Amino acid sequence: MSHSPHPPKESKGHEAGPSASAGLPVHLRVATLGDVPALVPLVLRLKSLNEEFDPLLKVRKDAEKTATEILTRDLKDPEAIVLATEGVGADKDRIVGIVRARIRERPFYAPEREAVILDIYLLPLYRRHGVGEYLLEEIMKIAKEKGAGVLTAEFPLQNHIAASFYNKRGFRPTIGLYSRTL
Amino acid sequence: MVQATTPAAKPPADPRPPVAPEAEDEARTGALGERSLALARFYQGKIETVPKVPVRSLADFSVWYTPGIAQVSRAIEKDPDLSFELTGRWNTIAIITDGSRVLGLGDVGPAAAMPVMEGKALLFRYLGGVNAIPMPIAIETDDELIETVIRLSPAFGGINLEDIASPKCFRILDELQRRLPIPVWHDDQLGTAAATIAGLINALALTDRDIHTTRTVLLGAGAANIATARLLIALGQDPHQLTLVDQKGVLFAERDDVDSLSLRNTWKYHLALATDGGGRRGGLAEALDGADVVLAASRPDPTTISPAGIRSMAARPIVFALANPVPEIWPDQARAAGAAIVATGRSDFPNQVNNSLVFPGVFRGVLDARARSIPDEIVIAAARELAAHADDRGLAADHILPTMEEVGIFPHIAAATAETAVGLGIARAKRTREEFYDRALKIMQHSVRLATRLREDGLTLPMPDEPSGGTGPP
Repeated sequence: MSHSPHPPKESKGHEAGPSASAGLPVHLRVATLGDVPALVPLVLRLKSLNEEFDPLLKVRKDAEKTATEILTRDLKDPEAIVLATEGVGADKDRIVGIVRARIRERPFYAPEREAVILDIYLLPLYRRHGVGEYLLEEIMKIAKEKGAGVLTAEFPLQNHIAASFYNKRGFRPTIGLYSRTL
Repeated sequence: MVQATTPAAKPPADPRPPVAPEAEDEARTGALGERSLALARFYQGKIETVPKVPVRSLADFSVWYTPGIAQVSRAIEKDPDLSFELTGRWNTIAIITDGSRVLGLGDVGPAAAMPVMEGKALLFRYLGGVNAIPMPIAIETDDELIETVIRLSPAFGGINLEDIASPKCFRILDELQRRLPIPVWHDDQLGTAAATIAGLINALALTDRDIHTTRTVLLGAGAANIATARLLIALGQDPHQLTLVDQKGVLFAERDDVDSLSLRNTWKYHLALATDGGGRRGGLAEALDGADVVLAASRPDPTTISPAGIRSMAARPIVFALANPVPEIWPDQARAAGAAIVATGRSDFPNQVNNSLVFPGVFRGVLDARARSIPDEIVIAAARELAAHADDRGLAADHILPTMEEVGIFPHIAAATAETAVGLGIARAKRTREEFYDRALKIMQHSVRLATRLREDGLTLPMPDEPSGGTGPP
């Protein structure tokens, strides 16, 4: 928004409405390339959390470099959505959360386009204030604008906290991903 | 028992070498272990069920058992709460363990936990007048333990969880407290925390401190200290003046493992968020700097807290070094470094923080009140009562808690506990504090009389290694 510390170099022309964040300890906006260094540690924290659930989710040594590349790529890609969550008050201008989603084609099914939430992470002190809900509402708005008819979320099946979050908000399990080592 | 020479008697300038007491302690523990094994072989179990109704002939069984007893069953079927009036449920608890963290032995499994649970049952019987049934349970998952206890619960007026590993003990306790209409207690969390809080209340009074403005460090974030932290906050401790320290250092909201804690250790996760390190980062040294109080329940190593660490604290600091069998710093070292009050977990030093001061009275109280649960208010009431009884006998730096010899405190703790349960509206039996006290005293005296009489009549056999027949409890 107007107080954004980084000029929106790659703005998609969308900004989350400030009115929706009234009363919440955060401020949501579309991320910019200048945000990447602050977003990478949040993505890495999320991936380390995933590592807790299964040895097949062991985080690679080059994860930091990969996160930087993927975020940089997605920030330039109209088929991707990356939102940055900023704190307010003493934490104003500090990035405390991220949501990253991508639009995917569904060649066999209708609706034919889906938005899939790939990364969603909030620093611990910002949780439990309804921020997650707000993040989800914003991502839904943008996904609809981009023509998605379905919103999906990818997370480890054993993450019961995530499962409960989505279950409470109208999501249901559809496709599972089963893995084995080769 | 108080040793002939306590470290307190030594000049504080001559710090106790850490090796000697350890070796001495090991030798004593070894000898006691041999004796326990020999006596276990001799007695083959420490408790047994005995009748509490007269049996004059088999004819009496027509009322104690079928056909008469059917009417009692029908009455309970109509009103399940009558199971507390018409059977021994009101005074019977299960001592539940999965054997996953037995004493300092670790995961020995349920069968090997049995001798320890029998010992606890004997303590419940002798000190609290409670029928406690040792029930080690073979389980694969936490949920199996939870479901098993729920299915066993109709026979019991309360549940005592024992020697269950952290962090699973937290969820098991929370879940059982939520789902069962009877008190569920985990002594390693609540008993130890209550005794710690009791000692702390008096230590704060002695050093003219107010808990609302006290900076406190908890070293170790296991079962006991997590519960202690929660109770401290309930008592008025400012979470932003509270620093938890574990093997990874100061616990704060954005520490790397906090997301993992949110999944595995909910209480610790909430404390990470609520305290956010008490404004500190780093390790124990950074946490201790300027702190008023350190409550350590970490590992049995007398170099865990250094004298320099104590010196960096506020003037006249309070030091609880509760690891067993060896405290985190020897008491005389802590005093030499300026500690005003030192407590340990050992009976051979002054100020023993001992959960056995708490559980007999608490269980007597919740059972006599037929309480439906055992919320933190009850734990705090028990702690305050315990603190008040040390106060009665005159508070001093080396007397902040009653000792196990002061058995007179137990019915008082029971009365305070039961009265709190009534006040909270969770008691099925409503009596006055005096009535609860009298009842608790009577039941506890009956229990001691029973043990004495059985011994005097030779129904409990004399200890074979004491030719005189032993000099057991009076």
